[in-house]
Amino acid sequence: MNWLDALAEASVRSMAQRTSRRSLLASLGALLIGGAALPLLPVARGAEPPRKGAAPNGGAEDKAAAKAAALQDPQSCEYWRHCAIDGYLCGCCGGSQHSCPPGTEMSAVTWIGTCHNPADGLDYVVSYNDCCGKSTCGRCLCNRNERDTPIYIPFQSNDYNWCSGSSKGNVAYHCSTARILGQAR
Amino acid sequence: MRPALLLLLACTLAPAARAYQPAVNYMLQCMGCHTPDGSGEPGRVPSMRDTLLPFARLPAGRRYIVQVPGAAQSTLSDAELAALLNWMIVELGHATPQAFAPFTAAEIAQYRRTPLIEVRRERERLLALMH
Repeated sequence: MNWLDALAEASVRSMAQRTSRRSLLASLGALLIGGAALPLLPVARGAEPPRKGAAPNGGAEDKAAAKAAALQDPQSCEYWRHCAIDGYLCGCCGGSQHSCPPGTEMSAVTWIGTCHNPADGLDYVVSYNDCCGKSTCGRCLCNRNERDTPIYIPFQSNDYNWCSGSSKGNVAYHCSTARILGQAR
Repeated sequence: MRPALLLLLACTLAPAARAYQPAVNYMLQCMGCHTPDGSGEPGRVPSMRDTLLPFARLPAGRRYIVQVPGAAQSTLSDAELAALLNWMIVELGHATPQAFAPFTAAEIAQYRRTPLIEVRRERERLLALMH
C-alpha cells in the first residue's frame, strides 16, 4: 500500500502548498452571499411567460393599458368616479357603484363632489352615498379625496360618517357608492 | 351706463374655470345634506321647501338665508350665491320669480360678512313671524 500513502501524501502536500488556510472561509462566504443575492438578478423575471394580452415589449404600453382599464373598472380604486371617495367600495361588498349591498340602506345625506371622466373629457357631479346599517365592509378601501377640505371647512369635508345623518338610527357605516347626478357645467 | 359697464367688467374678470350653473352649485354646496328637493332629513336637516319664499319676503328672513353658515361660508362668490339663492327660491320653494325681490351680489355682500351665531333660535323667531 506504499503507493497509496505516497499518492495521498503528494496530493495533500501539493494542496497545502497551493491553497491558504483562509480560502475555505473565502469560498464559503462567497457561496453564502452569492446564493442569497441570486434571486435579485433579473434572470427569474425574464424567464416568466408574458401575461395574456400583454404588449410584446411588456413595458410602457402594457402599463398604460392596465391604467386605462382600471379607470373604467368600478371595482378599482382608480375608477374615474372614485376621484373624491373616502371609504370601502360597495362593488367589493356585495353591492355596486350605485346600489347598496343587501341588508344595508343608502343614506340620504351624502358627500357630493365632481370627477373628470377621461373617456368623454367631461366633468360629472358624483354623489358618494354611504350604505348604512351593517358593520364596516373592510374590502377595497379607497381614499382619494379630490377637493375634500379639512374638517374646519365642514361643508366641503368628506371625513364624516354620513350614516349619522340618517333619522332611522342606521349609524353603522358599511361602504360607499359613487352615483352620477349629472354633468358639472 | 356705468353700473352696466362695471358688471361687464366683473363678468370678464370672474374666474371662468369653476363657474357652474345654479343647479350644479346646489348639488355641490347644499344637496348633500338638504337632499335633492330641499326637504332634508326629518329630525336632522329641516326642510326649506315651505320657508324659502316666506323668508325671502321678510327683511330679517333675507338676512337669515344669506347668513346661515352653509350659504355665508360657502366657496361661492357673492354673485354666484345670489344666483343660487334665487334659483332655490323658485325651484325648491315653488315660487314664481315675480313673487320675491331677487338677491343681488351687493345685498349678499352686505349680509354675508356678519356671522349668524344663534342659527336655530333665529330660525324659530322667523317661523313665529311667518304665522
